[in-house]
Amino acid sequence: MAIAMEEDDRVFLMGEDIGVYGGAFQVTGDLVHRFGEDRVMDTPISELGGAGVAVGAALAGMRPIFEFQFSDFMTLAMEQIVNQAAKIHYMLGGAVSVPLVMRFPAGSGTGAAAQHSQSLEAWLAHVPGLKVIQPSTPYDAKGMLLAAVADPDPVMIFEHKLLYKMKGPVPEGHYTVPIGKAETRRVGRDVTIVATSIMVHKALAAAEQLAAEDIEAEVVDLRSLRPIDTQAIIDSVKHTSRLVCVYEGVKTLGIGAEISASIAESEAFDYLDAPIVRLGGADCPLPYNPELEKAAVPQVPDIIEAVRALVRRKV
Amino acid sequence: MATEIILPRVDMDMATGKVIAWHAEDGARVEKGQLLFDIETDKAAMEIEAPASGVLRIVDARIGVDVPVGNTIGWIGAADEVPSAPAKPVPAANSDAGLRAAALQMLPAERVTAEDGVKTPRATPCARRLAKQHGIDLATVIGTGPRRRVQSDDVRKVIEQTPATTPTTAAAPTAPATQRAVAPGGLHRVWLRQGNGAPSVLIHGFGAELSSWRPLLTASGDVGPVLAIDLPGHGKSPMTEGADLPALVGAVEETLAEENVASLHLLGHSLGGAVATLLATRGAVEVRSLLLLDPAGLGPEINGAFIAGFLRAESEASLVPWLRELVSKEANLPQGLAAATLRQRRDGRLVAAQARIAATVLPDGTQAFSTRALFETLSIPAKIVFGTDDRIIPARHALGLPGTVALHLFPGTGHTPQLERRSEVARLWVELLRAAG
Repeated sequence: MAIAMEEDDRVFLMGEDIGVYGGAFQVTGDLVHRFGEDRVMDTPISELGGAGVAVGAALAGMRPIFEFQFSDFMTLAMEQIVNQAAKIHYMLGGAVSVPLVMRFPAGSGTGAAAQHSQSLEAWLAHVPGLKVIQPSTPYDAKGMLLAAVADPDPVMIFEHKLLYKMKGPVPEGHYTVPIGKAETRRVGRDVTIVATSIMVHKALAAAEQLAAEDIEAEVVDLRSLRPIDTQAIIDSVKHTSRLVCVYEGVKTLGIGAEISASIAESEAFDYLDAPIVRLGGADCPLPYNPELEKAAVPQVPDIIEAVRALVRRKV
Repeated sequence: MATEIILPRVDMDMATGKVIAWHAEDGARVEKGQLLFDIETDKAAMEIEAPASGVLRIVDARIGVDVPVGNTIGWIGAADEVPSAPAKPVPAANSDAGLRAAALQMLPAERVTAEDGVKTPRATPCARRLAKQHGIDLATVIGTGPRRRVQSDDVRKVIEQTPATTPTTAAAPTAPATQRAVAPGGLHRVWLRQGNGAPSVLIHGFGAELSSWRPLLTASGDVGPVLAIDLPGHGKSPMTEGADLPALVGAVEETLAEENVASLHLLGHSLGGAVATLLATRGAVEVRSLLLLDPAGLGPEINGAFIAGFLRAESEASLVPWLRELVSKEANLPQGLAAATLRQRRDGRLVAAQARIAATVLPDGTQAFSTRALFETLSIPAKIVFGTDDRIIPARHALGLPGTVALHLFPGTGHTPQLERRSEVARLWVELLRAAG
């Protein structure tokens, strides 16, 4: 974010407690001291009001980056996101655009209970006019953020809370990672695992263990929900003939349903040698109890078991 | 429902192919397994059989025009249901009572059960695609997936075992592939490779068929053109009048005449080895070299229990133990051989024909004929290959022949060196072709 702010005076940050406190997850850190309170703005506890200001600023030519404390609170700002940010460019015949970036700390695993642990990215991915991305590595987090800032349309970034502590190679200076392109994290011949966000890492861990059983899984990191890189999944499935979708959001009517349907409609259908399997979050409000919380989202053993059953012809 | 006829992929690199001849006319009644059309790619020519029985409706009758693989070129179905113009598959919603009745008639009886009504084979999309590409009827594939679902591996096993629809290995590009259709009357035969010069003619053993040569061909380098023949009552060849050795040889001679093959090299296995030896000495064709693999005709004993058990077997459980007798190591037995053998036997005619041949030439565990004397007069290069572990015909039969006949003994090898010693046999084959010129 600091690079974007240095490169472009129009870029500024908004959010609750992002100033002196450094953000609920310390993402903004000491940026308020480097760029001042005019460019790192603490907002009142009103997501609707803050989002409205951000959309208005974007319309007026600024490039705001708006942080939600928890992605769960996006529900309070839905009017501004869905009915305003996503629509204005189209309803005014392209005369204006909304170059807005919103960041959503999401996901479970922090013991924050049902109202602070959800994965609601599929909600926004359902809205044309928005772009919705889920970087899974430090490299992508930086590159996709810079791509989002440069994008003329509103880009929603869902960041998994447990990935904030992840370390990984990140180049100095400016670079971008394209929005709308999936990335194959591991090549394999037996099954394609399409995963998002933290599930990419769980899928990779599962794939390593499965390799010991001579099951080679291909892991595709979706990275972008809208636009979605269906072609990458098609290409992979044509090669492996089996597909497992792993995502933390609630399984029913989630990302996996979209991927399954897209594959069933595509040329890859004729290459499927087994039913498509979805592993998603349980159909329940996320429990506070840490054991139940873990049980409510897919874990590495769940992925291993699902893939094993699929490859060994049990389903 | 009508069965779609598509242009199959017969070669891994094939994107398009051309139909070079139809063997049935538009509107004609065709039987499943009957030769339907010939296609040609830049590598090979191939015969394609009818995937179903019914009335043929050709929708793309162009000859010699490149057509993309997978294109619909015709349909087979009941007289009134087959689309006459280039059309989409008949949608299931159209199936009125008459059409369903027609479909029921076309289905094998065992697939219609009281509780399920019409049982279509459960198959994955991948298995369906493979079956379609190779012209395989899914009803003939045994599913090993959950609830007996047919998966791609099940179809691949059948493809490996099915003649004519499997790709030939690297056809020699020296000569333009010419159309070589099977004339009515002769034995079923397939040009496994095209090329210039005198062809090698392959004659399989008792109970086998021409596709049993395919593993050897994958291991063979430049052996020129190769013609493989199904003996009478074997593979796809009809039974002939006589079941004795001269009748078998006569049928092969007739077939060679139809193919205009006057000068050739012979490769025969087991009973086919005896047929080849006779062919080489009767003078109807000019035989330039003779390669015999564990041939019959050199001594009296043959494993009568094998012959009887092989003919009697009606299930994999009863067939596989006999097939194991063919090889020294069980692992050398091609996967799916038992299933393919049983599939071919379904109508019972093959077993009946083979039983007749066995009763005539191999009665009571005895070879009722001898070719030993013929070797005395043989003036062409000849090699005999024997596995010393052969449990069908003892390898010692090959001893005591004239010194001009080379004998190659392979330890740790059973009755089928073309499977167990394929690279060595391929090498001896090439050496013999070179020696014969």
